[in-house]
Amino acid sequence: MLGFLLRRLGAAAILVFVLTSLTFVLVFSSAQNAARNILGESASQEQVDALNRELGLDQPLFVQYTTWLGKAVTGNLGKSWTSNEQVASAIANRLPVTLSMVITAITVMTIISVLLGVAAAVYGGWLDRLIQFISVLGFSLPNFWIALILVLTFAVSLRWFPATGYVPLTRSLYGWAGSLALPVAALVVGGIASAAQQVRGAVIDVLEQDYIRTLRARGVSPASILFRHALRNATPPALTVLSLQFIALLSGAVIIERVFAIPGMGSLTVDASLSGDTPVIMGIVIVLVLLVSLVNLLIDLANAWVNPKVRLK
Amino acid sequence: MNTFMRSAFMAVSLLALGQAAPVLAQDDDATTLSLASTVDNNSFDVGALQIGHRVQYWMPVFDTLLVLDPKMNAQPNLATEFTYNADNTVLNLKLREGVSFTDGAPFNAAAVKANIEYIRDAAGQNSYMVGSVKDVEIVSDYEVNLVLNAPDPGLIGYLGMVGGAIASPATLGTEASATTPIGSGAYVLDASETVAGRQYVYTRNADYWNKDAYPFEKMVIIPMNDLSARLNALKSGQIDAAAADAKSIAEAEGAGLTVNATQVDWQGLIIADRAGKSVPALADVRVRQALNFAFDKEGLVKHLLLDRGAVIDQPFNLQSQAFDPSLVGTYAFNIDKARELMKEAGFENGFTVKMPSTPAFASYEPIIEQTLNQLNITVEWEKVAANAFIADLLAGKYPLFLMSLASQTAWMDFRRFAFTESPWNTSHVDDPALAELLKTAQLTTGEAQDEAMKAANRYITENAFFAPWFMVDAIYLTDAGTKVDMQNQNIVPWPRNFAPAN
Repeated sequence: MLGFLLRRLGAAAILVFVLTSLTFVLVFSSAQNAARNILGESASQEQVDALNRELGLDQPLFVQYTTWLGKAVTGNLGKSWTSNEQVASAIANRLPVTLSMVITAITVMTIISVLLGVAAAVYGGWLDRLIQFISVLGFSLPNFWIALILVLTFAVSLRWFPATGYVPLTRSLYGWAGSLALPVAALVVGGIASAAQQVRGAVIDVLEQDYIRTLRARGVSPASILFRHALRNATPPALTVLSLQFIALLSGAVIIERVFAIPGMGSLTVDASLSGDTPVIMGIVIVLVLLVSLVNLLIDLANAWVNPKVRLK
Repeated sequence: MNTFMRSAFMAVSLLALGQAAPVLAQDDDATTLSLASTVDNNSFDVGALQIGHRVQYWMPVFDTLLVLDPKMNAQPNLATEFTYNADNTVLNLKLREGVSFTDGAPFNAAAVKANIEYIRDAAGQNSYMVGSVKDVEIVSDYEVNLVLNAPDPGLIGYLGMVGGAIASPATLGTEASATTPIGSGAYVLDASETVAGRQYVYTRNADYWNKDAYPFEKMVIIPMNDLSARLNALKSGQIDAAAADAKSIAEAEGAGLTVNATQVDWQGLIIADRAGKSVPALADVRVRQALNFAFDKEGLVKHLLLDRGAVIDQPFNLQSQAFDPSLVGTYAFNIDKARELMKEAGFENGFTVKMPSTPAFASYEPIIEQTLNQLNITVEWEKVAANAFIADLLAGKYPLFLMSLASQTAWMDFRRFAFTESPWNTSHVDDPALAELLKTAQLTTGEAQDEAMKAANRYITENAFFAPWFMVDAIYLTDAGTKVDMQNQNIVPWPRNFAPAN
């Protein structure tokens, strides 16, 4: 198990290095205008040149990269070019917002998609067709449209939930739940559709296996067959789908955070990209790549835990 | 037992809802002004303060030496009197006594000197506002002389904006000043409630000398980049006011919101290569005038702005000291006249011009291309990344381009585009005749200055430095409980312009 863990950690480290290097080349090679954009139209060329020197943008790209990398590995991600805020601080302010939204969404999605998927697989018939229809419908509706419908209905018309903003969990449990209810609902609809289909397929596959038939022949109760045998063996593909859904939810958060004016990583990413705030963009890339690597690692570990064959590969 | 459990469950649920209600309730508190801002704050360092949208973040905490009323007339504030010497090279300021910063430091002449010199030397976007100040002489504890390099017709206005913002001297240049402002303004930034990017909360400064000018006990500003989010927040009662656009007006009026408007930005073509270095045709004033006559500006206002704007022929707003009513209609749409001028100039077969293409103006590109094609002018579009657009324009890469520029005080506008070294004279064309007119405007005062400003505008307009199309209505929405006076020449109202409706 330790070897398995080390292999996965090594792969994650390589992924972080490669992706951040590529991103650095892409964003810093287009950062020549940063000083002018920061100083504005009235700054003299001398002032622009001085700021370029201060930011290190007058150095060759390789030198800029090694300088940045040297600081990044010690946790120093630099300062935002537009707000002068420490990048680490900016991310630390916003990451919990996005994570609380995405983790809540993946939890809700897991529960509902497993219930729907298992129900469709076990009962079949009209229930299966209904769940599949709902799944396809959810899959085909864009989450920004769902978000707008939800906010117009439940925030603007009914005023049951706030239309925008985020309340930290540390400040108020109810406020936190209220501020996340609509964004999470908008995020999970499409994901539930996809995950429920995967769970349904995986459960049907397992239920058609010979050993399930044997268990039935031995008189094991249907509930025991489902919960002790079928679900456990259907877990690996479902876990893989949920890990992909987690990554998809992080992407979806960019749109959802804008619609609901939630100050998370999505809005930080959009603002930094639009303003060409390269240190912030790099910080976001590092954090997101680490996050995705961590999720993949956890999923691999979970898979290895439920399925010993995985550990041997 | 089941009945008991059901009752207990109901009781707990109702209790939970009761607890939740205040948290989820909308902000109907009449003593709090809640605003959504299109952009997040950049910094509270007075050397980096900005005008436009960002004034709403810093004006609550930093008082200014002068204050500009909604019509942009300078009024006393921290400076109770302001008078120039005979040749406008020394501005004497008498300062208000008994004012303190919220860290307890006194406001006095030394604080004014420290702030003005700091802002001037900070290389911020608005350092130019006090760039003409050579020295700040302390006459007494409550009197200073601003000694200028040369007369600066814009200085009085600048002292009501970033140029006159005053922070506690102890904070100038410190790292904390970017996030923890210490001023003498009407409000104090509540650090415990403020989270950058999420919300900025201001509570009343109990010692402020002019409380009546700020009727709200508390201010909250929430950065909200997305227009639909701002509209939804307004309609649901979460906020009291926010910037919007012409397309939102019907929806806003339907929801009972008040539509306020002022005109700040103008759009049109900047004819940069007036010396004809890369496009010789543009050196001919008749060609430049033809570009002015060619566009159906009424149609553009009607269809692009949904009638929320005004056709213009000169690059100055209606309230500007340089605005000349006699120029109205100078370039009324007349494609035949445009063709005639091109023919007179010897360019009836047109020419080719390279223009920058950027997503912000993509919807205008077919209009420009089709219109110029009518004069046999061929446009070669060159894609420019959004974050390189302004830098490329300022670097003089394009002889002709579409741009949106703010029109503020006349001298700010001249400074922006009329001098050889002006940033929006991107080809830095030297024009001695205009320089002479500007010098007259700089050295005169009163009616003589008014006339000199207008004369410089006439020169610019008649020589077609630009092909201005229209002024755009800056739309600002308020809810039924809030009233506001729009601030001339600023895209959003200043904090002191808000008041409860009743």
